[in-house]
Amino acid sequence: MSYFVQLLVSGLVVGSIYALAALGFVLIYKASRVINFAQGEFIAVGAFVVYALSVYLGMNIWLALVISLLLTAVLGFFVERVFLRPLVGQPIISVIMVTIGLASLLEGAIHLTPFGGGNFSFPSFLPQKGIEFAGISVSYPQVLAVFFTLIFLAVFAWFFQRSTLGIAMRAVADDQMAAMSLGVSVEKVFALAWAAAGITAAAAGFIVGTVSGINLGGLVSIGLRVFPVVILGGLDSIPGAVIGGIAIGILENLATGYLDPLVPGGGTGGVFPFVVLLLVLWFKPYGLFGTEEIERV
Amino acid sequence: MRKTLVTVMAALAASLAFGQTVHLMWSGAITGPTSDAGKYYAQGVEDYCKYANEEGLTGGLKIVCEVRDDQYNNANTQRNFEEAIERGDPVFLGYSTGGTLQLKPLIEEVGMSYIPASYHIGNIDPPNNNYVFLPIVSYSEQVIAVLEYIAKEKPGAKVALAVHPSPFGRAPVEDAKKAAKELGIEIVEVQEMSKGLDYTATLKRFANEGVEYIVYQNVAGPVATMVKDAKRLGLNIKHAGAHYAGGPDLLRLAGDAAEGFIWVTSYFMPGENTKGATFVRELGTRYKRPSDTLESVHYPSGMLAAAIAIEAIRRAHEAGKPVTGDAGREAVHQALLGLTFDPGLAVGPVTYSKSDHVGVDMLRALRAEGGKFVPITEPFQSKLFRKVHYGK
Repeated sequence: MSYFVQLLVSGLVVGSIYALAALGFVLIYKASRVINFAQGEFIAVGAFVVYALSVYLGMNIWLALVISLLLTAVLGFFVERVFLRPLVGQPIISVIMVTIGLASLLEGAIHLTPFGGGNFSFPSFLPQKGIEFAGISVSYPQVLAVFFTLIFLAVFAWFFQRSTLGIAMRAVADDQMAAMSLGVSVEKVFALAWAAAGITAAAAGFIVGTVSGINLGGLVSIGLRVFPVVILGGLDSIPGAVIGGIAIGILENLATGYLDPLVPGGGTGGVFPFVVLLLVLWFKPYGLFGTEEIERV
Repeated sequence: MRKTLVTVMAALAASLAFGQTVHLMWSGAITGPTSDAGKYYAQGVEDYCKYANEEGLTGGLKIVCEVRDDQYNNANTQRNFEEAIERGDPVFLGYSTGGTLQLKPLIEEVGMSYIPASYHIGNIDPPNNNYVFLPIVSYSEQVIAVLEYIAKEKPGAKVALAVHPSPFGRAPVEDAKKAAKELGIEIVEVQEMSKGLDYTATLKRFANEGVEYIVYQNVAGPVATMVKDAKRLGLNIKHAGAHYAGGPDLLRLAGDAAEGFIWVTSYFMPGENTKGATFVRELGTRYKRPSDTLESVHYPSGMLAAAIAIEAIRRAHEAGKPVTGDAGREAVHQALLGLTFDPGLAVGPVTYSKSDHVGVDMLRALRAEGGKFVPITEPFQSKLFRKVHYGK
């Protein structure tokens, strides 16, 4: 029984990391209907900024994280202003291609820095031993991931429900033309969404870097690995991203724990969530919490 | 007009002074997956090439080394290889397991010697195995050497293999199973593991199965996370691995959790006080490489591959043979087949023959102690590998 509970808990904490990484996708999609294929690169930028500040400049890691959150927000804002604003009103495929190009550009730029191909670690700032309770163990970075996810969830819930900007963002997501006719600045909303996505990406980069080290390939791959999370939860649902992330994390762990011994070579943890995803999409094509778009002609 | 004529004459004179130019291409992952190894490997190739030209180790030839980033993409590797064929290069430096296995029929068809960074035994096993040369012992031999060490340390030990989900990872599995039987140790499970954020489920299962050692044929990233998780869970499991699983990268990623990790490789460690390690440090310093390059085990790996190719080209040239085009390819191949020399970059000499396409036949076991890998054996050869793989 404790084995099962351990798998559930591990799945939950890993799922929180996925959720954190997935939030950026959802924020951008929610506001602008754009899927940002450069999310993994944003995550990498966030992690490398923390590393550079804390190791090269000897800065306190928490201060480095705050600066990284701000810098990636600025990067998101800049990207929206320079690359995406000229594409407002253009076919969605053009915008998607721009984000793919942006991913290449950012990755290439990182390769020009000393971080390109290496493996790095943040200076040790958390105990290695982990937290044990009734035979269940979780690491401190994993606890931090859960904490960050809860904070972001609370902040975004408040933002979208209570703040004028958040409500404007929802209005833009719902109907751009109607929102514009009511005086909502769509451009401002888009820029804000990209900046917020940058913040969540930096937080995710910090957590992933703490858990498994800082390597460009590994960080970028997290950006792609959370695709099933956002599709399962619904591309435009923030609670969906969190629940999708946790669901995928738990499914991965249960499959690794119970199915791997039955399959030569194992590796079912990477496949089983996709099988479940396909089944869910069969019945819920817009994901568990995604908005159903019905077009009447 | 007069100025142009002078320039042309000067260029001609310079080319005569330098002798014939021979191109040597390396194609590997400077960006993309595994670039944490490829980046340093490429620098090793570049630097040894410069050094050989500057120190006159090329028999009067000018070797132009070209490193190409194929992004770990076999199609790019093939394009680069085909370009080298068309240009008349005599030998090619490759990289990945997938790229090498895929190119084997073409390598055989064109008769171009090929030295990969992948130590997959399938690269030099039939069919189409006449032109591929491994710089050091294969993954299979590395893993069997680890098992031999474990069998000595803990007779009858229960072992799990944690391998990369790719031909690279699976390469030694069958040989390892046969070797384990011979050694009287039990391989409880073979688990394919890609880069993940948490290995608690796998580790708990291993612990429930009584696993005492995990042997990795993987890259440092996932190994580091698994080693850290094992430490956090307080499991009494030892960790060991083949060349690409360990090294300074693992120490950097796993920190204290890597303490006690047993690792086998044919290369010297950066901080070692040996002739080879000193040479690598001096060369890196000479070409102003940063400290992370000097600390990487992939830097001397690239140097060794370049050294082998350049030495074979030099010997073919000094034997009066052509060193470019079809004839050059065959001459360099013949030189490789008889190549015995010690560039000092690994723990043993390079010895090739018609029936032996493994360069350095020796390796050492090292253990992570106090934040560095310390040799715990003298250079040795696996006793069992030839028996289980070739049946002799």
